[in-house]
Amino acid sequence: MSYKHILAEHRDGVCRITLNRPERLNAFAGMMPLEIKAAIETAEHDPEVRVIAITGAGRGFCAGADLDSSGPKKDGPRDAGSVLETAYNPMIKAMRDCRKPMVAVVNGPCAGAGMSLALACDIIIAAKSAIFMQAFCNIGLVPDAGSTWYLPRQIGRARALGMALLGGKVTADEAADWGMIWKAVDDDRLQAESEAILTKLASGPTVGLGLIRRAIHASFGNRLSDQLDLERDSQRIAGSTADFAEGVSAFLQKRQARFRGA
Amino acid sequence: MSDEPLLVDVREGVAWLTMNRPKVLNGLDSALTRALWHAFESVEEDPAVRAVVLTGNGRAFNAGADISLLQKLATSGERPGEVVARAMDAEFNPMMRALGAIRKPVIARVNGPAAGGGASLALACDIVVAARSAYFQLTFGPNLGIVPDIGGSWLFPRGGSRARALGLSLTAERLSAPDAAACGLIWSCVADDLLDAEVGKLAKRFASGPTLAYGLIKELLDESATNSLDHQLRLERDFQRAAGSSADFAEGVAAFLGKRQPVFKGR
Repeated sequence: MSYKHILAEHRDGVCRITLNRPERLNAFAGMMPLEIKAAIETAEHDPEVRVIAITGAGRGFCAGADLDSSGPKKDGPRDAGSVLETAYNPMIKAMRDCRKPMVAVVNGPCAGAGMSLALACDIIIAAKSAIFMQAFCNIGLVPDAGSTWYLPRQIGRARALGMALLGGKVTADEAADWGMIWKAVDDDRLQAESEAILTKLASGPTVGLGLIRRAIHASFGNRLSDQLDLERDSQRIAGSTADFAEGVSAFLQKRQARFRGA
Repeated sequence: MSDEPLLVDVREGVAWLTMNRPKVLNGLDSALTRALWHAFESVEEDPAVRAVVLTGNGRAFNAGADISLLQKLATSGERPGEVVARAMDAEFNPMMRALGAIRKPVIARVNGPAAGGGASLALACDIVVAARSAYFQLTFGPNLGIVPDIGGSWLFPRGGSRARALGLSLTAERLSAPDAAACGLIWSCVADDLLDAEVGKLAKRFASGPTLAYGLIKELLDESATNSLDHQLRLERDFQRAAGSSADFAEGVAAFLGKRQPVFKGR
């Protein structure tokens, strides 16, 4: 399948989605979020794909909505809510519902809704030169595309308020220190370190990994008692997979497990 | 200096609220609590105010419930728990709800210890800037046999760590300002002699910012705590619709495209 604003390729169990507007720091244009949604859903339904990676072409990850194409129209104010409804929110929901692990490889500036895109992934690995920014308030808007849900859950209320009300830059090192992202690495190590994570996830027990991401998400809205039930139900499914049988026998035989993702 | 329990000074878009009972570490008695409640409502209603700073006079930010309240409990003849609960309904909780209802950025200038209800009061503000010598302490349980209140049991776990909230509540150990900043319970900690400069800079910035959007951002993050992702996405859509119709958004975009600083009017 070919897209206008992104590239999507499948290789060695990894689906790589590359935001491809490098001249605009990969800012979202038009229906670009729906292209990302389509690529994620295609990868989810492809049994060969066991992990999905999102990164940016060129020197940026994603600068957020492209203001040249989303600012107020000359003939009156644009409805800033409708594009969320039709494009951004469906993308974020598709990420939430995906049953395969998702990795954001943040190669450069990550701002506004581009930051929401990264936050909605499971593992965020960033080059140390990358910066994160809730730029919305700098133009009189509010954080969107899920930022106000993910951010306080990753860095707490005080830091979420600080980023959202001040709109300043947070370095990749700070982001890792705050627990906003999984890891910050030297720029020249980003490729190797992210490949190692993708290789590990692509050879992992995919069904179990999908259940894990669902359970962690659900835990934020559940009482402990409900979460215990969800864990029981998830374990029932995971415990019935071929990968669980393989995991147990590999453990008993003291060898590396060879998971097939089913 | 006036002996009012709360000093209120509005200038250049910023309302400076200074708790003024320095001899008792700004302990919350009925008069101070009611003065705060009234001031929070006033600054919310006053269109000239676009940012609020809450701070304490003297060496403390706020040491929590005033000792006079505790003495009253001992001599009232009523069940103390009843008296406490009544005071919370009548004064403390309405004061905290009024603070939460301010749709403008509120900065806590934590000049010294914030203990008990004083810690809750600080954390309920949007941006907490603490002097390095300050500390936070949940004195309720271990020292008095009561539970964290006026929002403490809600605010502390939202610093991002259940383990830390439990530790602070059950041990009443002091959390130094640098540690509070390092663990994300507060926004920042600065050297004591830089506190005024830092708070002044933030207040000035907020007073010239997109006030309408600030209010919406605050409400979004408060609602986020208990919302599902689906619900929150809908809320963001609705709030973005409102923010996107503001004069400040038009100005923000024009400034961005014109590569200049925006001049926000706050609406």
